[in-house]
Order: sequence, then structure tokens, then C-alpha cells
Amino acid sequence: MEEKAIVVQNLGKQYPHVKAVDNVSFTVDKGEIFGLLGPNGAGKTTTIRILLTLIQPTSGETLIYNINTAKNSEDVRRMCGYVPQDVSADGDLTAYENVLISAKLYGMPAKERKSRIQEVLNFLELTERAHDMVNTFSGGMMRRLEIAQALVNRPKVLFLDEPSIGLDPNARRIIWGLIKKLRDEYNTTIMMTTHDMGEADILCDRIGIMNRGHLATIGKPAELKSAVGGDIITINSSNPNCFQKVKELGFSTITNSPDGHCDLIVNNGETLIPQLLDGLKARGIQVESVSLKKPTLDDVFLKYTGARIEEGDTYAETRRSRRAFTRRTK
Amino acid sequence: MKALKAVGKYFSNALIITELELRKIRHDQTQIWVRMVQPALWLAIYGLTMSKLSGMSSFIPANLTYLQFMTPGVLAQSALFVAIFFGINVVWERDLGLLNKLLSTPASRSSIILGKALSAGVRGMFQAVAVIILALILKVHLIMTPLSIIGVFVIIVLVSMCFACLSMAIASLVKTRERMMGFGQVMTMPLFFASSAIYPIAIMPAWIKPLAYVNPLTYVVEAMRDLLATGNLHTLPLDFLVIAAATVLFLVLASLGLKKMVS
Repeated sequence: MEEKAIVVQNLGKQYPHVKAVDNVSFTVDKGEIFGLLGPNGAGKTTTIRILLTLIQPTSGETLIYNINTAKNSEDVRRMCGYVPQDVSADGDLTAYENVLISAKLYGMPAKERKSRIQEVLNFLELTERAHDMVNTFSGGMMRRLEIAQALVNRPKVLFLDEPSIGLDPNARRIIWGLIKKLRDEYNTTIMMTTHDMGEADILCDRIGIMNRGHLATIGKPAELKSAVGGDIITINSSNPNCFQKVKELGFSTITNSPDGHCDLIVNNGETLIPQLLDGLKARGIQVESVSLKKPTLDDVFLKYTGARIEEGDTYAETRRSRRAFTRRTK
Repeated sequence: MKALKAVGKYFSNALIITELELRKIRHDQTQIWVRMVQPALWLAIYGLTMSKLSGMSSFIPANLTYLQFMTPGVLAQSALFVAIFFGINVVWERDLGLLNKLLSTPASRSSIILGKALSAGVRGMFQAVAVIILALILKVHLIMTPLSIIGVFVIIVLVSMCFACLSMAIASLVKTRERMMGFGQVMTMPLFFASSAIYPIAIMPAWIKPLAYVNPLTYVVEAMRDLLATGNLHTLPLDFLVIAAATVLFLVLASLGLKKMVS
């Protein structure tokens, strides 16, 4: 069997009042972008912190590149990079100093240090601001600096905890582009958490959906979405027997209202619409409007957990993400 | 050989953490200057006033003037007052998420604590320089040999580390900045008053005397007083031993606490 980048087996973490992670198992391949998706308090961050040896699990086992994280914590930390959810760049230092300290702590030889720091600052487009104090940076720049710090060591596995939380849409797109570029150019394995469906959909090769400490399901975004059912096409027509004609064309409808409105579930909705319209026109049906709804990961989340993702914020989590947000936007 | 390498790594990691803290001070030096004010006031106002009390000198051992007696006390006090609040920084860093990131690096917990403690030591040194210069301006007669100066600075670094570690250990238990402020206040004055910093143990109320003898600050004051004022170095090894032992003890406690702080 090929060695996996990350193996999580029957992982559990019990806190006095809550089971934060409950019997979670999954693996991540090398060079994969794997996302844990779920609301705040679902156990995503706890899982990441256990992998990074910051927290001891109460049960189960985790391996990173075949190294047991509980037994060889220092070796594991040496080959991982971590960008926590909270602001973690030091505002009282310059960008260069922040990366320099990280490079030193990861034991990078002095000879390589300078060129490597310049390389990561360049990669994250921070070279021009390298010697400015970090407390003058925007949220997006700070996030990029934090990623630079995590990358300077060329980690085999990079952990990103809510990489775009509190960022404006533009900064968010920049971060997404960098994450993809990082995987494509350096083949870094990336494990991230997010509560943003769109982010998971755009970035991740595979997604694990977590809710209340459980891993509800796991798969590629497209697979998960098709498991929810297909696309929904809604047709509005002034012709009351529209649905019969649709059936004649070989489609099954889910609503059959006599007022000319019908919904049908199909695969590849966008390629079927022209065919459908032509068929209806040939049968003398005047179509007034057509709409297509693709299933989202939100629908997936709803199906597997029975809840919308916005629910479930704890007070502490909300406070933390708000604070991170206000710090970033200052 | 492998063990040697691990020890080297441990100390080099600690020094990197110290470097991190010192770079911050370099960017913002105001805290260093502001912190020189308090010890200066103790020496220049409290010290000068008290030395005018005629009865005072009869209680002071070894024919020292009150300012000679008190200067080592102010040195110890200046280090204590700053170090005892050091835990607030750690709570602050935990709240910001800096601590999580630091702990995700290969550096061990105790090397992080040691590095932070060392940076407290360096901060203490700046104040010590200020106090000594002020004492010399006030024409306090101090023994200024290379040995006494080096000895005093070693002790200043140690005592700052000692109380910074104690403060970090307590921070890991109380976990909020507000409580930490409170605990700092509660600890400083008892430690200060139950030591020989500004009056000899001989004239303390009887019930405090035992406390003075288990107070690490007493040994700090005595060591520096021997080095700077009396020149009698007989008890110096014992003083050093007590201070070093207390520092190691608090270092271990703070390192154990650090783990609890983030989980």
C-alpha cells in the first residue's frame, strides 16, 4: 500500500463536558488538498491540533508520513507547517523578522536562510513590504505572511485552519490562488478546515464533512453533490399541459402543477436545457422561463447532518472569529 | 553525542525565543525607559528620605549607610516588579494565537519558557544599569569590581527569570489577563516586604521572619548586598544555590503549565 500523508484512525478527544472528536477515521494522500468542512465547534480545529501534537487525543492514533504523532511529536512538528485560525503573525516585528524567527525555530541552516526567506516572501508577494512592521499590514497581507512563515521550512504537510476567515472577497481569492499554486508547484499536502462551502468546493480535492465531533461523510465535492441528487431544472410555461409534454420527452418531473410550472431532476442540466427547449417547442409548448439550480455543498451538509451550516456556533468560537476579524480589518 | 546535540538544540531554541522578544523591544523601546522610573523613585525619594531617620542606621548591619543597604534591595525590587507580571504577556499571546503557533514549531515547551524567561532577564538588566548609575550619581559608595558587577548582573538575570517563570506558571492556571494582574499585585508586595530589601530582617515582626527566610528575594538581596556593599562573600554560594534552585523549580512548573494553557 502506498504511504499516506496523513492517517487518522478512530480518533477521539473527550473534554470534561463534551466529546470534541468522536471516532473519526480518514486518510489524506500525498499532494492532496483535503478539507474538513463543518460549522464552528464541529471538531475540525481539535483534529488539526491533535495532528500537530498540540493536544493529546483520548483515543485513536494519528500518523503523518508514517510517523506516530503522539510518540514522535518533535519529528512531526518539524515536517509540518501550521497557519492557525487566529492572527498569529507578530505585529511588533517586521515581516522579514517574523519569517526569520520561524526559519530559525525550524532549524534551517544559516547558509540557506536568507535565500529561502526571500523565496517565500516573493512567493507570497510580500517582498516590497518585507521590512515594514506587521501591525501596519492589512488582513490579507497578514494571512499571506502567516502562510510564508509556515512555508519557509518547506513542510511536507501544511495545515490551514480557516485560511480565509475574516478576509474580504479580493484577499480571499488571492489566498485561494496561492494555495492552489503551492500544491501545483511544490506538491505540498494541504489539510485545511473551513465552514465556507464555496471555499471547500473551489479548493479541495476531497472533503470530509464534520458535525458535532463526527465525520458525517467524505468524498470529492462533485461526488458528494451528485449523491444529493442531480440538478434541478424549473420550467415556467403558460401552457397547462407542459408537464405531460416533458414526460413525453422522457424526463421525470417532481412537481406536476397544472399551471404550467414543473421541476425536473437531471444530470448535467446545462447541456440538457437546449435539447429540452427544442423538444418542447416542437410540441407546441411556449416556454416563458427556465432556471437551473446546481446542488451545493450546503445541500450535502443538510443531507448528512440534518442541519444548515450556520448553526452551532459556540459563544467562545464566535467571539474568537469576530475578534480575529476586527484585528484584521483594523 | 546525541544527547549533547539535543541539549545544544534546546538552548539554541531558547535563544531564538529570546531573540524574538529582544527584537520586539528594539522596535519599541518606550517600555524600557518607562520601567526605569519606578526604581529611580524608590531610590531617590524613599531612600533619601529614610536615610535621614536617625534611628535607622543603628539597625543596619556592617556599618552601611541606608542607601548602601537599600540599593541592592531596589535592584532586586526592580527585577521582581517587572518579572512578576511577565505571565500577562503569555496569556495575551495565547489569546492572540501566537502561542499556538510557537508550540507547533519543533521547539520544546520548556525551551520556549526558558527563552521567554531569558528575555525577562535582559529587560531586568536595563533597569539594573539605570539603578546603579543613579546610585552612583547619589554618591552611594558601591563596590565596583569586575567580579561584583558581573555577579550582580548574573543575579539580576536569574531573579528576573525566576519570577518570570513563577508568573508564567501562575498564568497557566489563571488563564485570563485580568486575574493575572490581580495575582501579580497580590504577590509583589508580600515578596517585597517579606525580604530584606528595604529593612533588615532583624527588625521585622517575629511572625514574618520565617517567611523572609523562605523567600527567594531575600537571598537575591543578600547576594547583591554582599557583592556591592559589604564585600563579605561567605554566604554567596548558598544564595546562588537557592536562587538557581527556585528558578529551575519554577521553570519546570511553567513548562508543565504551558501545555495546559493551549489545550
